[in-house]
Amino acid sequence: MSGMSDSAGGRAGAELMVEQFHLKVLHAVLAVRAPRTLASAVPAASFRRRDRWFHLPLHDPPPQPGAAERLEALAPGEPLVVDVHLAPAGGGGVGGEVVERWTVACEPWPDAAGEGLAVNRSYKHCFTLLRSVYAVLRLLPAYRVFRLLCANQSYNYEMGHRVGSFAEPFSRAEESAMRSHRFVPVETQLGRLVVSVQYLPSLAAFNLEITSLSPSMIIPDYVGSPVAEPMRAFPASLTEAMGSAFRPSYQQQRPHSWAPPALWPHALLQQAKFSPPPVLYASPTPSPPNFPCGYPQSRLMRGVSAPMSIPQMGERSPVHRQNTLDPSRGFMLPPPSPRRVGETGPVGAQESPSESSWLIGRMEGLRMADPYASSSPRHKGKDSKDESGRFSALSSCDSPRQDDLDDIDYPFVVDDVDTPVSQPGSSDGKEVGDRAGSSSHKSQDAQVGSLVNLLRNARPLRDPSYSSQTSRAESSEVAPTSSVMSRRTSDALEELQSFKEIRERLLSRSSAKHQEPPEKP
Amino acid sequence: MNCETCQLKELELEAREIRDVLRCILHTIFFHRTLSLVRPKDVDCEFFEITYCGLPELEKEVDEKIDQFIGWAEKHPNRRSQVCLSFFDEKNKHPGWFGNKTERIYWEQWFINLHVISPKRYSKSNSSKGLTNIGGNALEEISSRRAALESSIHEVLFQIINFANEKRDHIPAIPDTFNHDIMIPSFSDSVFGWNTDVLRRVLNSGHPYSL
Repeated sequence: MSGMSDSAGGRAGAELMVEQFHLKVLHAVLAVRAPRTLASAVPAASFRRRDRWFHLPLHDPPPQPGAAERLEALAPGEPLVVDVHLAPAGGGGVGGEVVERWTVACEPWPDAAGEGLAVNRSYKHCFTLLRSVYAVLRLLPAYRVFRLLCANQSYNYEMGHRVGSFAEPFSRAEESAMRSHRFVPVETQLGRLVVSVQYLPSLAAFNLEITSLSPSMIIPDYVGSPVAEPMRAFPASLTEAMGSAFRPSYQQQRPHSWAPPALWPHALLQQAKFSPPPVLYASPTPSPPNFPCGYPQSRLMRGVSAPMSIPQMGERSPVHRQNTLDPSRGFMLPPPSPRRVGETGPVGAQESPSESSWLIGRMEGLRMADPYASSSPRHKGKDSKDESGRFSALSSCDSPRQDDLDDIDYPFVVDDVDTPVSQPGSSDGKEVGDRAGSSSHKSQDAQVGSLVNLLRNARPLRDPSYSSQTSRAESSEVAPTSSVMSRRTSDALEELQSFKEIRERLLSRSSAKHQEPPEKP
Repeated sequence: MNCETCQLKELELEAREIRDVLRCILHTIFFHRTLSLVRPKDVDCEFFEITYCGLPELEKEVDEKIDQFIGWAEKHPNRRSQVCLSFFDEKNKHPGWFGNKTERIYWEQWFINLHVISPKRYSKSNSSKGLTNIGGNALEEISSRRAALESSIHEVLFQIINFANEKRDHIPAIPDTFNHDIMIPSFSDSVFGWNTDVLRRVLNSGHPYSL
């Protein structure tokens, strides 16, 4: 194209230039008068050589093939007319009113007046003319409508166009309502290139308004906020991921793991009834789990009330699943009585893993629920003493998700304390469980002890040697593993270890306060 | 070759509208006179429902000049002023002992006439209408003033478009880069304003200058 400015070009060059000019104007008009959704916008690609005509490449979609073909059918001197109309939406263009009419024509010389005109000079003049057309297209009222319709397809009008060499003349009334602008023509060997536009100076009469909301996207596996729908059950796909260990009641208001930590302190106290406070269960992986059903993780990041991230089957130990709590029961401490364990024997024998998990979760929650906890749940552990003997927001030092806990501190939701969950006795000799106590004294340490005992006596989840593993866990350090099976067991061991530490801390605190010897079963 | 000049219609605007108005006008002029390959981007004005074709490669320079002008306008409130956009060719003058001296041949100048008014002057006119009506009337007058300014800007843009198309023969051969200059009133100007700088340059260039 740059060669056009240098060479004589001749008549052939002039014809090519005129043809390209028509096409370019058509392209420019349709680019900002044919609304399209942003989603359908084609990303900008590199310019092709032919896009550089008149040194103004246009990235917008080129005219449809049908429109471009009409150019080829134009006879010399025949104008190219582009009508832009607004019609009621859904009518297929029926009842539309022309709001703009662009006309491009090369008016042939009556005689050979243009023979001496240099093509390169005409070509250069076309640069300015095309730029003017480009600028005016954005100054006219229809451009605003175009932008609106591109942004939202739900307006009561739609913008369409007609391309041809002939357009129905306007009526007198229409003509009088329209303004016109005629660009300074460019003289070429073939004739004068003339571009003109007739347009309505105002489109306020069309009263554009959005008729309906954009179509909703149905999310089949949507898990809503527990705040909005506390009784909503999780979809089956998610429950499958969790396995049958979970009871349906837990699925309704599982606390999520990914809530922002700033919300947790008050969330723990305020949201017990309605939505689960944020829970960060001990998970071996620092990142949100990958749901097998493809449940988008972002839906969990909604804040305090988002559901807890649901571990993928096989990637979480049952302990972690068991950490899901029943927040509907509120933010309360578990009862001190260890009777339950005694009554039912080893928990695992008669309780489902889900119940065990629930109890474990309650234990975890105790760590959060302590109203006497120092300052905030972020307070990590060992120095936090509780006058009442309750759990404080102890450290996550034993939690596998050290990184998460470092950030958002203590995770667990405290559940209802009304249901007895532990009883002393029938321990296998472990310190923690043995100390759970059969004391009727309503002390948190006793409650914790009962829970620990319960855990200790729980039915093996997967591995028959679970009990032996727990004993090893007392001295083993928690470390995240990538193995699925070992992770479950290690998670349990870690949890147990943490319980023990809690227990010890509480006991020491309690003894310091009350100067009472720790109770022994 | 004569220097074509275009005096644009004067615009009355507030200080906060200067950036919008000058960006719109300057970029439109540049867009019409930058005949090398350009990739314009659509830019929406902040205060007006106007979209103009901006040239990203000139954005920084234009904004710097606008900042200078805004600084000048703050120190010279309620004054009429001009911003001049000039296009020129540089040619070597007589080679001398100490190097070549270039000569600027201006082939086109655009004079953007602005009258920056103070908002205080505007709000005072409402003070007599009672406290209860100040807010509503002020908003009405603000919107009507802005609508009038927007209409004036449209006129100026069409003025640019018409002039750019009417005066095309004087444009030199399309260069890879074009020489231009944006002149704003000088801080040291007193009565004559920037005109002294323009006249000095024109006289030094030896180019016949016509207003």
